[in-house]
Amino acid sequence: MLRVIQVIFGTAVAAFLVVPIVAILPLAFTSSIFLNYPIPSASMRWFDELAEEPVWRMSIINSLVIGGAATLVSVVLGTAGALGLRHGRIPLGEAVRTMFLVPMVVPPVVLGVGLQITLVRLGLANSHLGVVVSHAVLCIPFVVVSVSTALAGIDTQVELAAASLGAGPLRTFRRVTFPLAFPGIVTGGVFAFATSLDEVVLTLFVAGPNQRTLARQMFSSIRENISPAIAAAAFLLIVGTLLLAGLVALLRWRERARPGASE
Amino acid sequence: MSASLIRFENVSKAFGSTVVIDDLNLDVRKGEFLTLLGPSGSGKTTTLLMLAGFEAPSGGTILVDGKRIDDLPAHRRGMGVVFQNYALFPHLTVAQNVAFPLQMRGVPRGEIARRVDAALDRVQLRHLSSRKPSQLSGGQQQRVALTRCLVFEPKVILMDEPLSALDKQLRERLQLEIRELYRREGLTVVFVTHDQSEALTMSDRIAVFNRGAIAQIGTPADIYDRPANRFVSEFIGETNLLEAEVTGRGDDHLDLALEGGPGIRVPGRCEDRAVAVSIRPERLVLDAPELDNHLDATVDDVVYQGNHLRIHLSCGPLRLVAQSERRIEPPVVGRKVRVSFAAEDCTVLTE
Amino acid sequence: MLIAPLVVFLAVFMLWPLWIMISLAIRDDEVSEVLPRTAAALADWNGEGIPGSAAGQALADDLRGAERTRLGPAVRRLNSDISGFRTLMARTQRAADDVTDGAPIDLVAVDERWGETRYWRAIANAVQPYTDRYLLAAVDLERDPDGAIASMPEGASANAAIIVRTFTIAGTVTAICVMIGLPYAMLIAATGGWVRNALLLSVLLPLWTSLLVRTTAWVILLQNEGLVNAAITGLGLSDTPLSLIFNRTGVVIAMTHVLLPFMVLPIFSVVNAIPRNLMPAAASLGAPPLRAFYRVLLPLSMPGVLAGSLLVFMVAIGYYITPALVGGADDQMVASVIAFFALETANWGMAGALGLILLAATTILFIVYGRLSRSGAPIGA
Repeated sequence: MLRVIQVIFGTAVAAFLVVPIVAILPLAFTSSIFLNYPIPSASMRWFDELAEEPVWRMSIINSLVIGGAATLVSVVLGTAGALGLRHGRIPLGEAVRTMFLVPMVVPPVVLGVGLQITLVRLGLANSHLGVVVSHAVLCIPFVVVSVSTALAGIDTQVELAAASLGAGPLRTFRRVTFPLAFPGIVTGGVFAFATSLDEVVLTLFVAGPNQRTLARQMFSSIRENISPAIAAAAFLLIVGTLLLAGLVALLRWRERARPGASE
Repeated sequence: MSASLIRFENVSKAFGSTVVIDDLNLDVRKGEFLTLLGPSGSGKTTTLLMLAGFEAPSGGTILVDGKRIDDLPAHRRGMGVVFQNYALFPHLTVAQNVAFPLQMRGVPRGEIARRVDAALDRVQLRHLSSRKPSQLSGGQQQRVALTRCLVFEPKVILMDEPLSALDKQLRERLQLEIRELYRREGLTVVFVTHDQSEALTMSDRIAVFNRGAIAQIGTPADIYDRPANRFVSEFIGETNLLEAEVTGRGDDHLDLALEGGPGIRVPGRCEDRAVAVSIRPERLVLDAPELDNHLDATVDDVVYQGNHLRIHLSCGPLRLVAQSERRIEPPVVGRKVRVSFAAEDCTVLTE
Repeated sequence: MLIAPLVVFLAVFMLWPLWIMISLAIRDDEVSEVLPRTAAALADWNGEGIPGSAAGQALADDLRGAERTRLGPAVRRLNSDISGFRTLMARTQRAADDVTDGAPIDLVAVDERWGETRYWRAIANAVQPYTDRYLLAAVDLERDPDGAIASMPEGASANAAIIVRTFTIAGTVTAICVMIGLPYAMLIAATGGWVRNALLLSVLLPLWTSLLVRTTAWVILLQNEGLVNAAITGLGLSDTPLSLIFNRTGVVIAMTHVLLPFMVLPIFSVVNAIPRNLMPAAASLGAPPLRAFYRVLLPLSMPGVLAGSLLVFMVAIGYYITPALVGGADDQMVASVIAFFALETANWGMAGALGLILLAATTILFIVYGRLSRSGAPIGA
């Protein structure tokens, strides 16, 4: 009896979690103009629309450009920050670490209101750079966390060994620390890119019409004129994130296939 | 023995207000195998880390070949360090690990390949040269770590408990291997361990550390047979440490009264009234009338240990352990026996 | 110092914006920026009678130079305190324009209302650089003419209701997440092999999927002609489609879906760390299964439940996208209202005040969460 309840409950919850995501995928290929089932026949028309309609096209390009730039900014700053925090010799280290993680929990709407005004004062309103730095703020905690985790997994004795074998601090970093932290840096970068790709709220506040991202475009389409183009865009996002998730999983797997790293 | 290669002069080390090393003076002679032995927290590892350049002394100075090395960073000291968990680079292959110190020294490519192959040949690991460390067994990793260290021909090799992560059998085999390598290559080794039997097996000399200072330094036989103080006698091997009072003094002997009354005669001189006597369990013999000293005791327990027997005895308030070969007839528990020992097997300790 | 660039970056693009947001809530320079000389002249007026002629002089000078675009909001602001200010200021400005700078002017002669204390008092109040009116308004309070705090008239503002609604929705979602997440996490911990992997993957997959995609999915599923309604009517559970979207039901369903992983993962990491032999041990000591569950497993899982609940609640109160897309127009949460004030009406004071309340609530929850996770409760995810 208990077993039956467990099976039903487990299946139901798993279905609740997964089915909505799966259900949206086929609608990307509908030939109908309605974003709904049943699908009359399969068609690529909505993907064509994404590629040809200037608004969609621009938003996809914007998303890739802004996502790439925000990833670059957050990976560089976040990796340096994680390295700086590593040995905990910084005064107020705990406070600084908390500051690095705060963007994860601040309600994005609150940050958006402030950023909108800040960027106006800095002359960055309605500019690509303004959107990039706004996204980077949200991406940074993911980079800091995943690089810090990777660094924590490095046995400091390995770096001492490099020194004893004749490597100075810079060479130790280049030959030992950096290669060992690299998977963490890539993971952080992937998280950062995914975060930027999915960002709506800050974009709403800081982006002008020329900085419209794919997520922002989807958001207004859902509000204003819902069409299967949204499902096609969602399809692209899901495939994109699955690819990125696969990359991270691959890195993690390679990491684990190397137990010497943490023992 | 040749001249001193490394000299610690009045070296001290404190972390905050905790003094870890207090006024240490120590010579490492060229070509010797010196072991720093002590319980955890006794300062032996800190001593090694200061020598390797990973910790700076708070006071005093360290000399190598008569030159101060205080300002030399670790990567310019040219000392080979073998770490407790090997510290192999997990992202590099065995060959790349071994090549690392040569690359750091700007050795030409072709020569690196040649020397790496030769070094791996000497430890029979050449067939593993393209493996990653995680694909090796513990013993193989240990050998790679050692090879990586030997390949750049350091003037001294420092080993920080290199065998403690291995199981007993492998540990004993590698002890002999390291000893063999040391002899063959004419190395100077400073070896840190907390395992006294490992220290006795491997070393030319042992420095026993206790609370940041050297309690005794000498050959393994010196340390085992003539411990200088209670700490060393208890830390090295097993012993019966008996409190005693001096009742008479001869030219070269003392008469002592043990706790509970019995009197014994031991060699040595001493001005103190209260002393301790250390007698190794294997020096206590049952029913041997030809020896100098005798105690009447009761057998409390007899424990079978494979190649020998341990006999627990009580003599009034004294508790003794004797160790005897299996050839003797095991005594019956509860029986009265006479325990004998020679005067020269007793060491009188005043500290 | 490797951390310096990041510290500077976050100081400029995170701390400064947050500070600006906070100051929006308490700053009030609409009037003082337009009437700086008046503000200075009124600085030491005691609020009784009529201020000296210097104040009238300063007001005339300020009005003479004032730009239309900046004067407008200031006058609107004053007019909201005492209606009639608009005509009063227009007439005064015309009079001031006729007189050269620095020449004396008798305001009471221009308009006799300048002989009344309450007009001057309104200006004196409005030129203060800091104000609590937005914060008070955020919880439906205001200051009456005497300066005492009082409730706004019924129906004048819905802010307090919005805040209560936000906490209610967040609380509902948190409670549902606990009810589903706790047994689900325990189920994952109790299984093994592929079942366990499948159950875990079901939690991780949504976490990996774009939030926007998930919300879109619910819009599609929950609409009147959507799959859920098709199933309900198809199974004969209801004759007419239920309205599941653009109302509270839709918000709660979609937000539960989005936030459930944040509940399951912390609980799972706690439950999974509980030694497997404790339940058999409890049984061997004579506890029947249900009792053993209540006395052993449940208490040991509580740190995970607490961590998950805080996390879900903290994220839920600041949620914007899902309620904005799935919620009803008159059932919005506080984040949507902030966005409305900031983006549509440029009412920065109200946006700032509501944002400050949201930020304060989040900060408190974050600190509690930080304390919990430091004191040993694993935070998972």
